[in-house]
Amino acid sequence: MFSSWLPVELTQMAHNVDSFFYIMLGVVAFFFVLVEALLITFLIRYRRTRRNPTGAAVHGNTKLEVVWMLVPAAILIGLGAFCVPYVYALQKPPAQDVTIRVTGHEWYWDFEYPNGAHARTLEVPAGTPVLFDITSADVIHGFYIPDVRLQQDALPGRITQFWINIKPDMVGHVFDVPCDQFCGAGHSQMHATGRVVTQAEFQQWVSSLKK
Amino acid sequence: MEAVLSHPRPRRQSFVREWVLTVDHKKIGVMYGVTAIFFFLLGGLFALLVRTDLLVPQGVFDAQSYNEFFTMHATIMIFLVIIPLLTGAFGNYLIPLHIGARDMAFPRMNALSYWLYLASGVIMLCSMAGGMPDAGWTAYPPYSVSAKGSGIDFWIFSVHLAGLSSILGAINFLVTIHKMRAPGMSFNRMTLFTWSIWVTAWMQLFGTPALAGAITTLLSDRHWSTVFYNASAGGDPMLYQHLFWFYSHPAVYIMILPAFGIISEVLPVFSRKPIFGYHAIAYSSVAIGFLGFFVWAHHMFVAGMQMSEGIPFMISSLVIAVPTSVKIFNWLATMWRGSVEYSVPMMYASLGFIGSFIIGGFSGVLVAAVPLDMDLHDTYFVVAHIHYVLFGGSVMTIMAGLHFWFPKVTGRMYNKTLGHVSFWFYFVGTQLTFFPMHFLGLAGMPRRYATYPPQYMFWNDVATIGSYVLGLGTLLIVANLFWAAKYGVKVGPNPWGAQTLEWQVSSPPPEHNFDEIPTVTDNPYRPYDPPQPEPEANPTWA
Ligand code: HEM
Ligand SMILES: [Cu+2]
Ligand SMILES: [Cu+2]
Repeated sequence: MFSSWLPVELTQMAHNVDSFFYIMLGVVAFFFVLVEALLITFLIRYRRTRRNPTGAAVHGNTKLEVVWMLVPAAILIGLGAFCVPYVYALQKPPAQDVTIRVTGHEWYWDFEYPNGAHARTLEVPAGTPVLFDITSADVIHGFYIPDVRLQQDALPGRITQFWINIKPDMVGHVFDVPCDQFCGAGHSQMHATGRVVTQAEFQQWVSSLKK
Repeated sequence: MEAVLSHPRPRRQSFVREWVLTVDHKKIGVMYGVTAIFFFLLGGLFALLVRTDLLVPQGVFDAQSYNEFFTMHATIMIFLVIIPLLTGAFGNYLIPLHIGARDMAFPRMNALSYWLYLASGVIMLCSMAGGMPDAGWTAYPPYSVSAKGSGIDFWIFSVHLAGLSSILGAINFLVTIHKMRAPGMSFNRMTLFTWSIWVTAWMQLFGTPALAGAITTLLSDRHWSTVFYNASAGGDPMLYQHLFWFYSHPAVYIMILPAFGIISEVLPVFSRKPIFGYHAIAYSSVAIGFLGFFVWAHHMFVAGMQMSEGIPFMISSLVIAVPTSVKIFNWLATMWRGSVEYSVPMMYASLGFIGSFIIGGFSGVLVAAVPLDMDLHDTYFVVAHIHYVLFGGSVMTIMAGLHFWFPKVTGRMYNKTLGHVSFWFYFVGTQLTFFPMHFLGLAGMPRRYATYPPQYMFWNDVATIGSYVLGLGTLLIVANLFWAAKYGVKVGPNPWGAQTLEWQVSSPPPEHNFDEIPTVTDNPYRPYDPPQPEPEANPTWA
């Protein structure tokens, strides 16, 4: 059951997201334990007894309050700043890439490969940047690949993008491509199967597809 | 005839006169409360249907019904339960009492707000006859434009009326709070609940029109062939999302600020201590209300915006967590060196609310980070987040508030043992139901799924079992309160030994609240006197 903690990391980017997740999880877990511990301690230590019939006449403490405002503020803004380079790195697609056009339909994914051929399965070459141009033929869908930790909505009349570069040792890996933006009765059945292949296999597969 | 006249009995008002025609803020508050509890049971029933479907990977119901269930569940809970309970029920009942006024500024408009709310609820119920809405509480076009049946039209009409009711209520609260405070009650002598309703009312006033615009254009696209959201004709589906979240992010604070206010009332009473840092708590609500209008696009990081456009919204979302954490620390400090009584409301407010709500605050910080949200958006992780803030936050607090003010409203006390038992059902049920959803989301399970791959079954089943525990707890609470309203032990004006104004008048309060309007000379949270030594049982001079 814990095998489903986090999915595999197909890309270096996915690995970075996970590291970042663990850092943030560490920070929030620290404060979580702190607050729960204080809460339970105060509930027990200061419970009403005959010898503790009333509370102290304390109204506040400005110094303390400034501290617990500024410390979380600094940590949170720091975490935010830490994310910024990642966002820019992700936004800028690499110059040379294999472009796959993804179109969401009610209720399946259609993939158009560089030679113009279409298929309903997603084959991606490892070791080279792959760019997805994502759109929809009808309602909004969500193009999500949990194994690379990325998604973009597929909208009619608009192209959204993200790119990936799969680690070469992942060849042969099969992954799920669910739709994660609600799109009607077939939403939860709208999965494509993805497969990581070598670049040679990719060329072969693409040319084997009927146009 | 003569005999009757010569023995005048207090005239019993008819039901119609007493309730239907009333403009008394307390009666209206109670009507809001009872109606919203009815809808809470109904919304809960839909939640149990949703959870039951997810017992097995292939689903128990067909997908269309499942979609209708979760749409009804969320719409009812947000528009017909949490907002009306916090502002309509608690706000209406308490604000005039807290500020030392005899009623709201516009009593008849207040009644109108309630009747509009009821109409909104009835229309939502009517939609069940002709094909329930199935587009989620967010109702994104183009799906919601193309969806067949009249369900979405009922949904739009209902949400419109709820919004109108909310705007009228907000105006009423603002005027009341500005104009009707008792002599001597400056803003800095108001209760923290009053502060929170004041901020909430401003948010409702500014936010709700954006929602009205979004759903009006949606209706127009559905029926009058306009193309606001039709991309092939030059419209833009993202416009709807911007309008929707410009309301709906503030709405999530509309659903939590009054709850914060309730917590700030309950904690000092049962810690026998003044609230710690009155000004920090009051002003952080104002900060939340202001910042709350600058974070809406954190719901849209992957909705088609340029990725870097998310950065300012990420920063503002992280910053808005600061005033929230200030409150948490101030509440903890209120208990510090207190004399903490384990009453039922205190259990909900301390362990129930603080203990659970912070989990939602922390997951909020995680999804506010653009890189993490690129993964976690629209997964069960977000479902976990919203339920920790709305169930662990708002609903826990509603339960704290109901158990706290129940003796004031009814003049009777519920069964405290049963109150504690149902609290534990609630606490355990909340964790069992919502914590596993974090694991499902991290493993990549998308939200709004009627069926799912089999590897997600274990945590789904844990969540479903938890939801049954919650269902049982809810029935216990409702049974306890409704029974006690009629048969509970009678109590005096101030069973908890609280200090705010509503506890200084009888339970229930007289029709015009105060025989004499009080003059206020101090902030409402004063130190509690050490209890006087008990008088001897049989004084010798008697
Ligand atoms: C610590 C402060 C908070 C932060 C930083 C935060 C952040 C976020 C973010 C970034 C999302 C979007 C996630 C996504 O869709 O990918 C979100 C969703 C949501 N949040 Fe929060 N949140 C916070 C507190 C709250 C509170 C207090 C409430 C309500 C009481 C709330 C209610 C919601 C709801 C209802 C949604 C989901 C809406 C939907 O898509 O259906 N949040 N939050
Ligand atoms: Cu979908
Ligand atoms: Cu938000």
